[in-house]
Amino acid sequence: MSKYELPKNFDYKNVNLLKQFITETGKIIPARVTGVSASNQRKITRYIKIARFLALIPYTDMHK
Amino acid sequence: MTNYEAVIILNPNFSSKVDIFISDFESLLKQNSFSITKTEDIGRRQLSFSINNHNKGHYLIFNIKGDATKLIDIENKIKYYESIIRHLFLVVKEHSLEKSQLFIDTQSKRNESKSNEEKIPESKSKESNDDKKTASEDENIEKKDSSDLESENTKEDS
Repeated sequence: MSKYELPKNFDYKNVNLLKQFITETGKIIPARVTGVSASNQRKITRYIKIARFLALIPYTDMHK
Repeated sequence: MTNYEAVIILNPNFSSKVDIFISDFESLLKQNSFSITKTEDIGRRQLSFSINNHNKGHYLIFNIKGDATKLIDIENKIKYYESIIRHLFLVVKEHSLEKSQLFIDTQSKRNESKSNEEKIPESKSKESNDDKKTASEDENIEKKDSSDLESENTKEDS
């Protein structure tokens, strides 16, 4: 039972998709809340961390 | 031989010289026997946090194929490029030939902002018309007030 229907192929460039899995403060939302499968959650986490490094997604809302 | 995806964020002050940079970088890749399958010029984007006091960055994505040992040489050279704010080399299984989602998103955003810019003068002219209307309405109200006062005066007189 997944709340979101994830596309088959997605990566760190799907910024709008990844933004659904972070909170307003920039934290990654746990899978138990979103209902994403474990394998997809691992993918999401990896891609969010890449996107953060490339300044596509904020680490936190405290950036100056 | 490994497939790589190189993401490069350029200094926004250099974004007018992107073509020169791309040709330079491609020649550097070819010198190290890398083959380029796709280059994507995504363009200027707002960074979600400032890097070295830059709030915007010019994103470039290269799909390349080559040896890992040569990649280290390239990375060592790139380190000292002043035009690059940040770079990342990722190992990928396959290169997709389609345009990336990031490219599509940035393009659509740019088009939106452009259309908004076109709309602004129209809306401004509308607003000015509205202002005139409200002004004329105000005048009417004032007139009404004065007429009321006059009528009251006349009543008192009578």
